[in-house]
Amino acid sequence: MIEIRGLSKSFAGRRRGRSGVQALEDVNLTIEDNEFLTVLGPSGCGKTTLLRCIAGLVSWDEGEILIDGKQIRGPGPERAMVFQSIALMPWATILRNVTFGLELRGVSRSQAEPRARELIELVGLKGFETAMPFELSGGMQQRVGLARALAVEPQVLLMDEPFGALDEQTRRLLQEELLQIWEHRRTTVVFITHSMEEAVLLGDRVVLMSARPGKIEEIVPVPMPRPRSEHIDTVEGSADMHRITQQLWGRLREWQVDVGKARGVAAAS
Amino acid sequence: MSSAADVQPLGTGGGRQRAGRPFLSRVLDSKLFLRLLTLAIVAAIWQWYAVSANALLIPTFDGTVVAFFELFVDPEFWEAVWVSNQSMVIGFAFTILAGIPLGLLMGRYRAAEAFTDVYINILLVTPMAAIIPLIIMAIGFGLEARVLLVVLFAIPMVIVNCRAGVRQVDPTLIEMAQSFGATERSVWWRILLPGAMPAVMTGIRIGLSRSLTAMVVIELLLVAVGLGGLIINFRGQFNAEGLYAVVVFVVFEALVLITVARWLERRLVPWASEGALSQS
Repeated sequence: MIEIRGLSKSFAGRRRGRSGVQALEDVNLTIEDNEFLTVLGPSGCGKTTLLRCIAGLVSWDEGEILIDGKQIRGPGPERAMVFQSIALMPWATILRNVTFGLELRGVSRSQAEPRARELIELVGLKGFETAMPFELSGGMQQRVGLARALAVEPQVLLMDEPFGALDEQTRRLLQEELLQIWEHRRTTVVFITHSMEEAVLLGDRVVLMSARPGKIEEIVPVPMPRPRSEHIDTVEGSADMHRITQQLWGRLREWQVDVGKARGVAAAS
Repeated sequence: MSSAADVQPLGTGGGRQRAGRPFLSRVLDSKLFLRLLTLAIVAAIWQWYAVSANALLIPTFDGTVVAFFELFVDPEFWEAVWVSNQSMVIGFAFTILAGIPLGLLMGRYRAAEAFTDVYINILLVTPMAAIIPLIIMAIGFGLEARVLLVVLFAIPMVIVNCRAGVRQVDPTLIEMAQSFGATERSVWWRILLPGAMPAVMTGIRIGLSRSLTAMVVIELLLVAVGLGGLIINFRGQFNAEGLYAVVVFVVFEALVLITVARWLERRLVPWASEGALSQS
């Protein structure tokens, strides 16, 4: 279980005399074990910052994050991250990229390699072990990113808009496969996205965040049955899916309009 | 090396019209053939100009070639090669040993940068030839002076490239490593060094050619020993063929060293050329 209590973080202003940006303001959130939580919000709402805090990659100003009751102080072996920019090492083969996390944790190569090969097969890249990252398409590269994270057998998978840079077809395929993998492995997933459909399709709950200051506005449960991966197309077209997406859009549009009005006032004065 | 054999029959002159034959077209398209062709054209123009000018200080191409091979049996010449390369080898070795770590550290740590940045910039913008009298006055005409000049010539290029190499490493790669619990030491070994490798190799290559330049420049300008000294001697004797032959040798040595460096670069960082496109 991940507990986030009163988390606040601001970035210092770039220029002197300018106030900083309040990236996160009083964020409170409890994530259950084996939950698939999606975080949705406009760009600049601090959703990625929130994920980086959970990953232990950045520090924060106030509040605390506990995993199974223990305060986190930096990255830990129970968490693994999947990056939007994928972050594969261009000089290493696919196999070496997947064993990377294991090797950093002191697992010997002879033990790491069989595990890496298994995961490469799981994400559908069997036969590409000795390929270099630049030989793979974006979708295939992100499969490697997923395999690398799964290789360390994390309790918590932190995914930062992992499919954001992919084309529509590839994205759908990967969403389906991610669901399949998660239905079998049952790790906790925190999944950042800016796509409403993706948030609803994948998540047990959708956390809606608003920008400036970044805070949680609402948590919307997604009461659609699981497993969803087997009949993903029916799920996509279902009335539930439509209703929840509309609900999310209603909220998001309100803020967009509000922000637009505020901007208009500022410009007029 | 197979292309060298392919080129043989071309000495008899292959017409473009017959390039339809696969063997010939392959030869005509080969890099080596084009290079040899350029060389032949340059040699022909040179020969024609030297013969028609008939001046004392412009040797003919064939005369230069003869002088070039005469040099190879002259022990005095090999003595000069040894003396020159001594300063180059020592200076270049020092440049590598000191320049690479310094550049790498400057790329990652602000403090290292703050300490050394000004001096690197001074070295980069100062015309090095202007420093030569200063060096001579300070430490004399010995090997040390020549080594020092080689280092001053070469080290800024090595430092600047290594620094750029570390800086251009994708920051999310560092973050990725840290998310898996990498220490600063692991980040260096597993991310920064391999990531900076292509730029480091470029720095080494440029540093090498700068070392060669420095080696000849100081011998020509102030300390008349080695190959530079030989050039000055030949000029004094109006031995144009000999002078040209030495210059050709210097060019040749430079080409060989740069080729070796390029080969090493391709062997050590094969991902650099292909990976660059997909990374952007």
